[in-house]
Amino acid sequence: MSIENISVIKLRGILLVTVPSDPDDETVSALQEQALEAMARYEAKGLVLDITTVQTLDSFFARMMAETVQMVGLMGGRTVVAGMRANVAITATQLGLTLGNALTALDVDQALEMLEKGVVGGWR
Amino acid sequence: MNTPGEGEVRISAELDIVTVRQEVRQASVALGFRPTDVTRIVTAASELARNVFLYAGTGTMRWRALSVDGNTGIELVFTDSGPGIGDVEQALVPGYTTGRGLGMGLPGAKRLMGEMDIQTALGSGTTVTVRKWQGRW
Repeated sequence: MSIENISVIKLRGILLVTVPSDPDDETVSALQEQALEAMARYEAKGLVLDITTVQTLDSFFARMMAETVQMVGLMGGRTVVAGMRANVAITATQLGLTLGNALTALDVDQALEMLEKGVVGGWR
Repeated sequence: MNTPGEGEVRISAELDIVTVRQEVRQASVALGFRPTDVTRIVTAASELARNVFLYAGTGTMRWRALSVDGNTGIELVFTDSGPGIGDVEQALVPGYTTGRGLGMGLPGAKRLMGEMDIQTALGSGTTVTVRKWQGRW
């Protein structure tokens, strides 16, 4: 079956990747690949993973995000995971998931600001 | 309106994990679970469906509505005829895995659902039953 649409947009030197709401494993893997490729191609200084519409964050998805954060870090960039819903945050925590060294933001606006200003903090 | 009280999804491809999530989401919303519980149930279903696909290749997920003393619940049963689990106690330790998983699926699903029962033996498949009630955590 087809891979869901993944949008990768570059704005002001930052990559904005919008995650579809209910991605299958293949889409999640493709997302990681496309994000890393775009990081190299555009020489972006950071990556925002917008998960605003994501309703289910399971261990596979979480691992791919944590890996992406790690890989982007090795490439010299920062990643901000933006827009996690309250329900998803509660469930992910009970499931025992972490996002590695990802920075987190309430929404995309805040995430862009963090990367632009070089603010460090968030979920560890 | 008539709410269906049971359903089944066959798991034989990775994409079926998404189908399981959608079916379970629809069912738990229709049964009146709170949004946070819906997310918990769907996430647990995703973990258990992935286990079926990863370790057995094929299997089924059946769900049914539960009603006891005015309390509504949902039961999900994941059945496969895969290799089975050798040491169930070990499999429930967070971080333990024999495959390429994180070792979060089984213990995590138990925490999210509250009730879990595992019937398994090496070589004779696995049936994992989980239940979530509306009145309890």
